[in-house]
Amino acid sequence: MTAQKRQSKVIDLNEAAALVQDGDRIAIGGFGVYQRPMAFVYELIRQKKKDLTVVGIVNGNDVDILVAAGCLARVESSYVGFEKFGLAPNFRRAVESGMLKMVDYPEILSMERFRASQENFTFWPAYFLGGNDLLRINPDIKPFTCPLTGKKAWAVPPADPDVVVIHAVLGDEFGNIVVPSRRLTPQSLDITLARSCDKVIVTVEKIVSTQKISRHPHLVEIPSYRTTAVVEVPWGAHPTPVLGVYGADDEHIQLYLQAAKSPETFGQYLDDYVYGVDRHIDYLEKIGLETLLRLRKLDIAL
Amino acid sequence: MRAANLYEIITVVLSRDLKDGEVGFTGLTTGDGAARFATSIPLAAAQLARLTHAPNLTIMLAGWVHNPDLRKLLRLPNSEFDEELRDLDCEAQSRGFPNHPWAIKRGDIDFGFASGVQVDRSGNLNSVCIGTYHHPKVRLVGPVLQPEHLTLFGREYIMMPHHDARRFVEKVDFVSGVGYPGGIAGRRELGLEWGGPELVFTPKCIFDFDKEAGCMKVKSIHPGVTIDELRASTGFDLGPLKDVPVTPQPSLEELELLRKEVDPYGLLLPSA
Repeated sequence: MTAQKRQSKVIDLNEAAALVQDGDRIAIGGFGVYQRPMAFVYELIRQKKKDLTVVGIVNGNDVDILVAAGCLARVESSYVGFEKFGLAPNFRRAVESGMLKMVDYPEILSMERFRASQENFTFWPAYFLGGNDLLRINPDIKPFTCPLTGKKAWAVPPADPDVVVIHAVLGDEFGNIVVPSRRLTPQSLDITLARSCDKVIVTVEKIVSTQKISRHPHLVEIPSYRTTAVVEVPWGAHPTPVLGVYGADDEHIQLYLQAAKSPETFGQYLDDYVYGVDRHIDYLEKIGLETLLRLRKLDIAL
Repeated sequence: MRAANLYEIITVVLSRDLKDGEVGFTGLTTGDGAARFATSIPLAAAQLARLTHAPNLTIMLAGWVHNPDLRKLLRLPNSEFDEELRDLDCEAQSRGFPNHPWAIKRGDIDFGFASGVQVDRSGNLNSVCIGTYHHPKVRLVGPVLQPEHLTLFGREYIMMPHHDARRFVEKVDFVSGVGYPGGIAGRRELGLEWGGPELVFTPKCIFDFDKEAGCMKVKSIHPGVTIDELRASTGFDLGPLKDVPVTPQPSLEELELLRKEVDPYGLLLPSA
């Protein structure tokens, strides 16, 4: 009997984005404008994906750029905006003109929808929705009475993503993914996302050896068998930050928002930073070494 | 000593309303006025309460940094989840779903702070849209944590950095945070067992609620604000106002603590 070799899950960005089908429900890791797998998002745009639904929790530039590029039919989330920078201009235009279907959910409930998928629940119970107009606009949430206590409750549909993509610090070629122990909400939610779906794509800052990972097994929050594919994408979250690795490129986000003031100027932004760069490395060249070095952090607390 | 400014006056009123042993939740709101009202004032008020009548109070910055050492802040944080807040000295951190140390639905959080683009007479909040939902005139950010704030927290302080008739309306365009439709009884019928708005702070006045009737009423008017001005900036009828008191001033002791201990570098509350 010949021994079979363990199979690597490393693929490139093109191949990874090709795993997403038109019409899919996609969950994008990160939170607000933190640690988004942006390089992957740009590749979805280059591949001209259509009719995607982003199922999210608190969304930001990920949704805004996908909307502008015509990739989205629907968004389910508790928030789409740029936090300290203000509203999401492309998203706002699309909802106001009726081009995009928005379905609002409360924030904690948006997290619990992924938990429901992890548990394979057919719904998640909520007891605090009475009187909220979210019920009026969302036919997917159904009222019921708790069979044990008679309490008023609502059945909220699970997130049920077809594909999850997150950006992490380190992983090995088999898909063991390290999440720093001093993680915050964006990273914690990434872990929940990775348990909510059977197609999990992880872009990482760096692929390291399994030997190295094995010295820190307590930090492997996503084990190899949950990971479908791993892609090495240094600076893969730019312009959003990766906790402990690099900060947010606030200047680039300002430039983005300036461009997003009209569809015409935003078309130019897409040409410059997405369609006009074939490879991620060309994007990084465009951002420039000086900027990247300025954003870099050397964290002592992995 | 310099007389108390509006921020200090509001901070002290709020501080007196917080009770020993309670747990409070502040979000990280950004933008000058909004941050001042929804983040800085609550933090300063909670810290003042801890230094006076409420030593066992817990306050969370950005919803996850428990009892931060505010004197170690170099500037007012404007990012919710970065190294700056992660590395700020504090007692505990909520590091995210589902392993938050707080059990939000059991009622761990006694009070929170919310803001909205519109608030109405019943205390409903809106941060979703202006106009109709499906064809909005302005699409806003979404409900975020407002539905939870107004139902799962023990009580909510609504912090409105601007007071005008566009924001204080008869009926919000979209209810993303529930006030008192039909009063307390109305909330119970909706399945809401506790929570709801307690006070509304604005640059012109403080509102409280007739919770039985389910409507907002003026509790006090800030020094220098006229009744006519208040009526003109509010989109619903305020009823008789002639007996409404002026918002009380801080005591000398409170003011001194606030300036010397709570906010010695003037990060939270501007001195002007």
